[in-house]
Amino acid sequence: MYQSEFEIEISLENKPAARDPVAETIKRDLLAKKGYDLISKVRSGQYLRIILKANDEKDAKEIVTSMCNDLRIFNPVTQNLNIINVKKL
Amino acid sequence: MTIKIAVVQFPGANCDLDAMHVLNNVIGVETSLVWHNHFKEAEFDGVILPGGFAFGDYLRAGIIAAHSPALDQARIMLKDGRPILGICNGFQILTEAEFLPGALLQNESLKFVCKWINIRVENNKTPFTHKMKNGDVLAIPVAHGEGRYFTDNLKELEENEQIVFKYSDENGKYTQNANPNGSMENIAGICNLERNCMGLMPHPERASEAILSPKSTTHGKLFFDSMLEFIKRR
Amino acid sequence: MPKLKFNGKELKVDLTEPEVKWIKDTLERDPAITELGMFDVMWSEHCSYKSSRPKLKLFEDAEKNYDYVLAGPGQDAGVIDIGDGYALAFRIESHNHPSAIEPYHGAATGIGGIIRDVLCMGVRPIALLDPLRFGTLKNNPHSQWLFKYVVKGIADYGNCTGIPTIGGEVEFDKSFEGNCLVNVACIGLGSVEDFKHAPSRAYYPGDYIILMGGSTGRDGIHGVTFASRTLTDMSEADRPAVQIGDPFTKKMIIEATLEAIKTGYVRGLKDLGGGGISCALSELTGDGGTGARIEMRKIFTREPGMNSYEIMLSESQERMAFIVKPEGLEKILEIFRKFEIAHAVIGRTDDSKVLKIYDGDNLVVNLPSIALSESPIIDREEKRPAILEDLISQKTPEPSSNLEEIIYKLIASENICSKEWIYRQYDHEVGVRSVVKCGTGDSGVLRIIGTNKFLASSVGTNSKHSFLDPYEGAKGGLVEVCGNVIANGASPKAMVNCCNFGNPEIPESFWYFANSIRGMADFCKELRIPVVGGNVSFYNEDEVSKTAIKPAPVIMIVGIIDGVENIITLPFKNVGNDVLIIGETENELGGSEYHSVIYDIEGGIPPKVDEKKIKARWDFIYELHEKKMIKANHDVNKGGFIISIAEMCFKNKLGANLDLSSYNDKNLRDDKLLFSESVGRFIIETDPKDFEEIMILAKKFKVIVKKLGVLIIKPEINVKGLKSQDFKLNIGKMKDLYDSTIPNLMDI
Repeated sequence: MYQSEFEIEISLENKPAARDPVAETIKRDLLAKKGYDLISKVRSGQYLRIILKANDEKDAKEIVTSMCNDLRIFNPVTQNLNIINVKKL
Repeated sequence: MTIKIAVVQFPGANCDLDAMHVLNNVIGVETSLVWHNHFKEAEFDGVILPGGFAFGDYLRAGIIAAHSPALDQARIMLKDGRPILGICNGFQILTEAEFLPGALLQNESLKFVCKWINIRVENNKTPFTHKMKNGDVLAIPVAHGEGRYFTDNLKELEENEQIVFKYSDENGKYTQNANPNGSMENIAGICNLERNCMGLMPHPERASEAILSPKSTTHGKLFFDSMLEFIKRR
Repeated sequence: MPKLKFNGKELKVDLTEPEVKWIKDTLERDPAITELGMFDVMWSEHCSYKSSRPKLKLFEDAEKNYDYVLAGPGQDAGVIDIGDGYALAFRIESHNHPSAIEPYHGAATGIGGIIRDVLCMGVRPIALLDPLRFGTLKNNPHSQWLFKYVVKGIADYGNCTGIPTIGGEVEFDKSFEGNCLVNVACIGLGSVEDFKHAPSRAYYPGDYIILMGGSTGRDGIHGVTFASRTLTDMSEADRPAVQIGDPFTKKMIIEATLEAIKTGYVRGLKDLGGGGISCALSELTGDGGTGARIEMRKIFTREPGMNSYEIMLSESQERMAFIVKPEGLEKILEIFRKFEIAHAVIGRTDDSKVLKIYDGDNLVVNLPSIALSESPIIDREEKRPAILEDLISQKTPEPSSNLEEIIYKLIASENICSKEWIYRQYDHEVGVRSVVKCGTGDSGVLRIIGTNKFLASSVGTNSKHSFLDPYEGAKGGLVEVCGNVIANGASPKAMVNCCNFGNPEIPESFWYFANSIRGMADFCKELRIPVVGGNVSFYNEDEVSKTAIKPAPVIMIVGIIDGVENIITLPFKNVGNDVLIIGETENELGGSEYHSVIYDIEGGIPPKVDEKKIKARWDFIYELHEKKMIKANHDVNKGGFIISIAEMCFKNKLGANLDLSSYNDKNLRDDKLLFSESVGRFIIETDPKDFEEIMILAKKFKVIVKKLGVLIIKPEINVKGLKSQDFKLNIGKMKDLYDSTIPNLMDI
């Protein structure tokens, strides 16, 4: 099948039980110091942008998801994998 | 047959030479420093994964090292009951390699912490703790940025008696002050179901000589003495 | 900045007109663009020391005058023979300007740089120390930000490479607000044999030149700029202002380098710092008396399309140049492959004494190897600042609050309070050598495994004292830092210094530098301490307000303790023991914490150093060491002796009953007696049964020693014998104040 290039952006965020002290600190500092009271939530995580060859968007997502699972790119005990965006290049 | 222990050296390990010094010079057991790609389980009676920053702790502490062939070799030792000890970064590697349950996250304070703390012995039925008594309080230092232990299955850990050490004060009380990193239930070290594999965040190799210890104790030595004797008795 | 015409375009360089003329005359042609860039960097103040060399000549020749000095200034690090077959290499450097822009990466790459320097001597780096200076923290988010990230940068880099940070120092003062000072020091340990066969320069033609470590990118390219656009294709905005360090690669470099050196095939070794590869090569061949032919395109780059100028002058971090014997090439490459470190053979040395760099077939650099090191010297003017006269005659105001209140304020002040917030972030125990840990001694003490010797090291200076009198202030800094290692039981063996000053083109700023050097040179000569290295950082000045930092001639001392039984720590140990003070207190409140914290004044008479008295006190203390009579020792500095006594009470929660009536020979007012910062004093704890003998010895050495009191079990200090009333200090309260200042300011 004809293969194209895709770009997938993923984020790895801590599961709620594992807490997110980095985000908690940022939110506390923002509200406490600069009065950004419109901000109700902050989440932190790691971001990866992956460019790969795949058949279509669905295929690309599947490849990246299995890769992250197989290689433990994210820690399944403490993190969730989110696919933020997929686009054909 | 002489007993042989291996200290696996990953790129970025820092406490490998420290562990070597204690095992060879203080305990007196033949210990080799083995480059991770060259590690062969058949040659050794026990293995230690030392502290440091294997592979720079890139992506996550311990994750890249967990994929090293050294861990495939160690898995054989895991299955046949030979003792495997993971110290600090070694503990992180063991959880990522799924030898041990749970994970180590960034310290609650978001800062690296280097200080002497106390741990209470919870399970003295492992190859590393059989010379200790349950309830003993040991003086030992920590030095880490990602030591906050987390598991999504605490109940199982408790029921199976896999918790080996908890941070405590000098009197054995599990206070918040005694916990240097925010670990769940003050957990400092755990073992697998079979008990032959143990991981802990504190550094016993830094607590094995009186001269290095603020109160001149040598509690770290108990770990290695226990390990040696366990191997002898097998 | 002179403007040159180059290929019809206008060029701006930092070189002066006479310097450019010298280059043209020597080469007998116009320099090529990359060559010009190399001169521009190598002849900059930072690399060539053109303003400071004339003054640095004042230091005694260390290698000639001290038989245990194996390497002195001019080498990558100073090296001393410490006996039992071992040698220590050490060096201190500054990374001030990058840290002021980007504190995390600036400080981290500072650590990276100093580690490389020590590694170049062929020994394993085993300790780091960091003397730092910032603006005051209170109500100053900018200073807090710099402080937080400098400490984090040092911690992350040092911890990752597995080298313990065993000591340091921090001073907070308004003058450092726009120009923080980040100095970093490193100590390496090896055998004297290792050192004698250590790689140095490229002395032999035919050797291979290998570049290894990080890849070469467009970081930190200095120097030549065209009038309207930079020489590189990258715009200012895209080019990183500060290099990014990589401690993991550094750790691999340390292990690979040490293993490579063990083979005996490495003849030359240089780390790539200012001026990148071209300057490292010029030093290797220039000092070695050889030349080299380099294939520039063999250099592995991080980005595509880099031109020759960019490649040769890049200051990308974590790179080393090895000079290797031909028969050892394969072995060395194998070692680099094992550690998976990028490397490339980029050329060979020859006997031409010319550095030739080829870009394909184009010869882009064709310089005599020594040309770059023949930098000019500039004689600068000195002028004492006019304001000093009035400042020094400032009087100490009458205290308006009672003495306890003042002391509680002082113990909580930024320059005196506990720095535990800092050192908890440093792994100060990796390497299993740390015997006296941070917080229990005035210096860091490491054991030297295989011997019964211990190294003790400390860093510091007092910029407030130096501001009022740089000559006495520099001497005072030496007294203090030596005092730190002596307090732990060591005798000082050698020093390196890191001089941080303002713009040398301004006579007042240069006056501070020149007098600091004179002070250090005189003191070291008299007290027989070899100066084995140094670093000068000028231009620490605010461009806009034209205010310079307070002068900071930072000292690092390495001392040796013979025998574990001779290690002494700071905390008081036993109830009933005597508290003695060594040394008299003079009316020297100038630049004291008392003046700045309580009255916000900078003036007064600064402390002076009497070398004979200092020598006598040190000899007296060495005698007490022999007799094992000192149970605890803390040298007296910021805040005066009452602060020192309190600090010694904290750890074991002891107290003291003090009677100061016999300790005021100069008849000072109470506050002046308590808070004067006269240098070279010590508070020691001794056994009462030794008192008689100690006093006899004091008389023999002509040293003033007075018993101030005794240790008690109740955690309070009761002070009697002053002119005004007696008072009491609560140790618990003092310790809380001492411990909480920085966490309160930083941890919100």
